[in-house]
Amino acid sequence: MENKAMLQFDQPSFFKRLKGMLGVDFYRLFHTPLLYIFLFIAALIPALVSMGAMGGEEGAETAGMFSNAWQIIAASKPMYIISDMGDYANMNMVYIFGGIMISIFIGHDYKSGYVKQLFTTHAKKQDYMISKTMLGAFSMVCMCVTYMIGGMIAGAATGLPFKINAGSLICAILGKFIMSLGWASLYTFINVIFRSKFGISIALCFVLGTGIPIIGAAAVIGNTPALNIFLYGSSVYACLTSNALTLVICLMNSVVWAVIYNVLGTLILNKRDCY
Amino acid sequence: MNAIEIKGLTKSFRGMHAVDSLNMTVPVGAIYGFIGENGSGKSTTEKLICGHLVPDKGEIKLFGKPYTDAGVRVRVGALIESAGCFPNSSVYANLMMQALNLGIKNRAEEIQRVLKIVRMEDNAKLKFKKCSLGMKQRIGIAMALLGNPALLILDEPINGLDTDGMRIMREIIVDITQNLGCTVLISSHILGELEKIATHYGIIRQGKLIQEMSAKEMDARSRVFVSLKTGDMQEAIKVLKSKFDDVRFEDDYIRVYDVEDTESIVKHLLDSGHKVSEVEKNKVGLEEYYIQLMSKKEEA
Repeated sequence: MENKAMLQFDQPSFFKRLKGMLGVDFYRLFHTPLLYIFLFIAALIPALVSMGAMGGEEGAETAGMFSNAWQIIAASKPMYIISDMGDYANMNMVYIFGGIMISIFIGHDYKSGYVKQLFTTHAKKQDYMISKTMLGAFSMVCMCVTYMIGGMIAGAATGLPFKINAGSLICAILGKFIMSLGWASLYTFINVIFRSKFGISIALCFVLGTGIPIIGAAAVIGNTPALNIFLYGSSVYACLTSNALTLVICLMNSVVWAVIYNVLGTLILNKRDCY
Repeated sequence: MNAIEIKGLTKSFRGMHAVDSLNMTVPVGAIYGFIGENGSGKSTTEKLICGHLVPDKGEIKLFGKPYTDAGVRVRVGALIESAGCFPNSSVYANLMMQALNLGIKNRAEEIQRVLKIVRMEDNAKLKFKKCSLGMKQRIGIAMALLGNPALLILDEPINGLDTDGMRIMREIIVDITQNLGCTVLISSHILGELEKIATHYGIIRQGKLIQEMSAKEMDARSRVFVSLKTGDMQEAIKVLKSKFDDVRFEDDYIRVYDVEDTESIVKHLLDSGHKVSEVEKNKVGLEEYYIQLMSKKEEA
């Protein structure tokens, strides 16, 4: 009965394994409404913020919050202490949406039982962490793009000026893109801890994504660049005065945190049952 | 070579041993019937083999390699508890995701192939949540069959299926072992169905494998008995006990164990003035063997 061809087991390379896992995740991402809903929300929020729809008469709030249309995308300077909504309501909000989206995405892996299929065929749990991190980062970059489009339309509609140093603007936007990687790894890590209890994951991702711990720390220790070592700190640092150094800091920070969270997440997956 | 080789496997939940120093051997190409009562540790063992649970102790080898070997595990298909599909996605989308996961090249053809095996070709567009229980079980098998697995682990795949569904499932399992060379580990409470297909058995009780044997060994160990009915059953039992060692009244029949000569039993009864209305030669089946074994263990 032994079939020799049947009993040949080729070792799949890391890239082959990852390609398989990414294939599933991206297929699901594009074939279910979750991403599209969040892209729409990401486009809508800056419009609502800038048009004063979040409070007061139309346009009245905007006048106080923003003096330039690009402030809808990034703060004018790195302010960790929030003095008004204008300092806060920018593209960093994408990281909150991203946290919620990743929590729902991973939560459904566990809730549906599909995770059993993944872990049966993927002996290396790091594949799961890396794939989900990459998927989350991609989704957040896409949300950044729709946020930017929504913000630009809203800025134009409210008549705010678009005058800006193009280099700084590009660095700020790229910085936000780069930070998506670190945030996605954090959210993936949180979700492999709480698994199908994605209500807890969503709440935790929301708290961290809003930057409350860093804003709180800034209120105590002051507006210091030392806060850049944290994901929220670097995300704030990617502002309209950004330069090449900002990008380097964002890149280093994002990659280092991504590695840390991926290693910790893989350890947890290896040590804990997947139910 | 053995498809599965387990030594001293232990897994506890909150201090309770679900699997306790379990040793198990599944030969390549076997249909291994994994039997045990509820909570005996069948599903836990299967989850440990699939890497869903982390063992406390012990060793699991699949085709001679550690179960954590990526090359082996990619060739394992499993249906444990449920199919593990996204309810709002179609049958096709769920299979496509699994095909992508396994890195299959001709995905569309492979999906058609497995759908054909499980006789679900016409339901590919159906949303998973709209499928009946039987269909969901078959989709689970189809998922497990993708990518030509060398080992299939099926946990209660015939639970909740109607007679026709059971027959289809039985045919599928036999087909994949005989034609594809796949090894199957299957657990089920429906021992009569298992008996029709299994080539090997493993009986687990309280987390320990208490018996492991091939279907041939099982057949050899099974006791032969003659079951019969007479007008006065109690008197007939007394008469039979005078000549035969093991005579019992079970399931409305008199059973004379370990005797193959039906004629001598009937003659003995007739000589004693008892008319025999029914007589049949039988062998203890898997179910009875299992019940007897469990009773012995209970008594011990």
